[in-house]
Amino acid sequence: MGALKKGLRAVFLRIEAALESVFGARHNPLTQLGTLGWFLFWIVTVSGIYVYIFFDTGVTQAWESLDRLSREQWYLGGLMRSLHRYASDALVVVVLVHALREFAMDRMRGNRWFPWVTGIPLLWFLYACGITGYWLVWDQLAQYVAVATTEWLDSIGIFAEPIARNFLDSERLSGRFFTLIIYMHIALPLMMLLAMWIHIQRHAHARVNPPRALAVGTLGALIALSFVWPAMSQAPADLDRAPFSLGLDWFYLAVYPLLERMDGSTLWLLLVGGSVLLTLLPWLPPFRKPPVARVDLGNCNGCTRCFADCPFGAINMMKRTDGLAFEQEARVDPDLCMSCGICVGACPTATPFRRVGDLSAGIELPDRSVAHLRDEVVAASAAISGDARVIVFGCHHDADSTGLVDTGTAVIRLPCVGMLPPSFVDFVLSRRHADGVLLSGCSGHDCFERLGDQWTEQRIANERDPNLRARVSRDRVAVAWNNPIRQDALREALAQFRAHLHGLAAGNPTPQSAPGPAAWRAPLRGLPAPARYTGQALVYALVVGFVGFFATQPAYTYLADDHALLKLSFSHAGQPLKPCRRYTHEELTNTRFSERSATSCERGRWPVYVELDLDGEPVYRATHEPAGLWNDGPSAVYARFEVPAGRHRLDARLRDNGADQGFTFTASRIVELQPGQNFVVDFRAVEGGFTFGLPAQDAAGQEAP
Amino acid sequence: MTLLKWQANFRIGIGEVDHEHQALIELINSLHDALGAERSGERVEAFLGEIFADISAHFALEEKVMRDRRYDALAEHKADHERLLDQLRDLMDAEADGAVLDDKRFAAQLAQWFTGHFQTHDARFHRYLAR
Repeated sequence: MGALKKGLRAVFLRIEAALESVFGARHNPLTQLGTLGWFLFWIVTVSGIYVYIFFDTGVTQAWESLDRLSREQWYLGGLMRSLHRYASDALVVVVLVHALREFAMDRMRGNRWFPWVTGIPLLWFLYACGITGYWLVWDQLAQYVAVATTEWLDSIGIFAEPIARNFLDSERLSGRFFTLIIYMHIALPLMMLLAMWIHIQRHAHARVNPPRALAVGTLGALIALSFVWPAMSQAPADLDRAPFSLGLDWFYLAVYPLLERMDGSTLWLLLVGGSVLLTLLPWLPPFRKPPVARVDLGNCNGCTRCFADCPFGAINMMKRTDGLAFEQEARVDPDLCMSCGICVGACPTATPFRRVGDLSAGIELPDRSVAHLRDEVVAASAAISGDARVIVFGCHHDADSTGLVDTGTAVIRLPCVGMLPPSFVDFVLSRRHADGVLLSGCSGHDCFERLGDQWTEQRIANERDPNLRARVSRDRVAVAWNNPIRQDALREALAQFRAHLHGLAAGNPTPQSAPGPAAWRAPLRGLPAPARYTGQALVYALVVGFVGFFATQPAYTYLADDHALLKLSFSHAGQPLKPCRRYTHEELTNTRFSERSATSCERGRWPVYVELDLDGEPVYRATHEPAGLWNDGPSAVYARFEVPAGRHRLDARLRDNGADQGFTFTASRIVELQPGQNFVVDFRAVEGGFTFGLPAQDAAGQEAP
Repeated sequence: MTLLKWQANFRIGIGEVDHEHQALIELINSLHDALGAERSGERVEAFLGEIFADISAHFALEEKVMRDRRYDALAEHKADHERLLDQLRDLMDAEADGAVLDDKRFAAQLAQWFTGHFQTHDARFHRYLAR
């Protein structure tokens, strides 16, 4: 598991670095997967509402209304329909990569389990939404989805009568099924939205909107795909025929072909088991549980700064408990705290300046106290020399800042850069412990602790308390946010910062690039603009090309050429285990009037034994137990066979009386099966037994000798 | 010697803020008294550091109270806070660089700042609350 995670992480970081060079850190699609998911969800919702306006529920109207929409209103209705499909497909891609990335980056362990675990039902909702959606179109794909899904649901064995029988042939299909499916297709996304909201509950300042440029690019790419490759229906559904080949949406329906190779119940077991395993992932060893932040009430007056800055909502403001005149105090929820220390960086009492008592802040990480951090700074200062000494405050997830140590550079690594109280920067520079301070963290906008880089930037820019005092020269404070594999970029940033500090020492500083009190940063040496835009266009084209292709291709062969489907399906109640008997006069007189009845029937029926032979060869032999808790329900039979088209002899036999041999019903027919035909062998005791095909076909059929 | 004296008109009517104002005045007084007894560079440094941390925390709370009550003059009030903290930091640096601090002048400065701040900025907030 560890090796897998490491390998995946290396792959992700490489792709991320490449994408960053074309999109920039802020618009990197790989660090915006969550927000892109929300954005795609809204595209699907809006386009879905539009398509629904023109959608008719009904066996023939459904297909016709959508086909008309796509043809007559291709510029808007067709576009909306295509967007509905492709944004849904893109959503699957985004969600799966998002989950994989959170796993690879190890952002789902221990106290961070909540978004991971709540994301798993989201996956199920997502797939249920997609499957019900494809059902509604009522084309051949919908027919396949309907039959395969109901057969699959029947494998659970909770339905007394197989629901797949609703789609046995055109005679049995009811328009009311569409009403059910459309309700599901509206209710499921609503439930999904609720689950999405729960999914981000434990994140303070959760991002749900992608940066505008990325949103525009994504929507534009999807619109382009919709016009180039409009989503169309396949041929209308016809339950009396089985489709040979289908354009399967592999994003939603990839597991369906497995149903032809394994038991439905086995597939359920695999999917449910897989989900349970995924759910347990956050708690699998190795365990890591650093001590959580601790509030020192003696230094806490309830100013709420730590509460405002905690990225995980782990701090609550509670009613004061120590009797002092303050109204509130901060309290840490140990089940939510990630020990990132960002709260320490927010605390106004976290200063390195010597105090009368011990150096102690209102909130502290027990294994990394402010007093200890001060000692580290003083020790680091003593170890460096020169006229451009730099103390680097790195984080545990940066581009390995420890490798920067040299005679002029000392490195202090924190759980997160956001843990550093701005007064420490003031301390380092004003007490001349170094000539410059470099803050090094994870890729911009992808802080492992979510908000560390953001808060750090805002504190330096005087936009967030506690801010870096205005008296501190921003010329001597630099930031470098780098992808962990970009050690070269971090080295380069340090080298440039040092050159800048040398310049300051010599009295000819390089001009500050950004206006206002912003940190110094190494000028970007990225690709030229045309190359970046070309790169972005290429990435968009690649992604939507991938989405568009696998939305219908490669085609899936459901039924081989020159074959027909033969279905044996019926529901029949076996004979009672014991025949009913009339109550005797004596028994009736001894029964209370309100409880009297004429006959006494014991519950319980014989199982139904069925045989089907094709051209004299046995194709089906099975005993079906009666349904119901009291074994008094009907026995249900549902079996599907692929048979070569042509003339066949069918022999069907049934025994429902518990006898050892002999049959209650038998029938034989010579049938002519057309390629692609869906031929049903049914059984209705009241009509005299087995029926073959639709009533018209059966009447014209030939009784076999 | 009492450097600063709490006066009834310093009250702004919010329990925790008034409590901290009094505590700060007491702190400044007691530390100043202790300093007078036996001066040393290190003690002065600690004295200033203690005041800096406590005042920082106090301002954080006061600004939070003002934000909660949508105080319309928060920006200028906060600017005055920042001004004092900057002065304090300048003083701390000067002291650390070996400047011999003139106790009396510093005390007078601090007392003057507080009295001034109480009588203008805090009083305005008090009036705002009483509207």
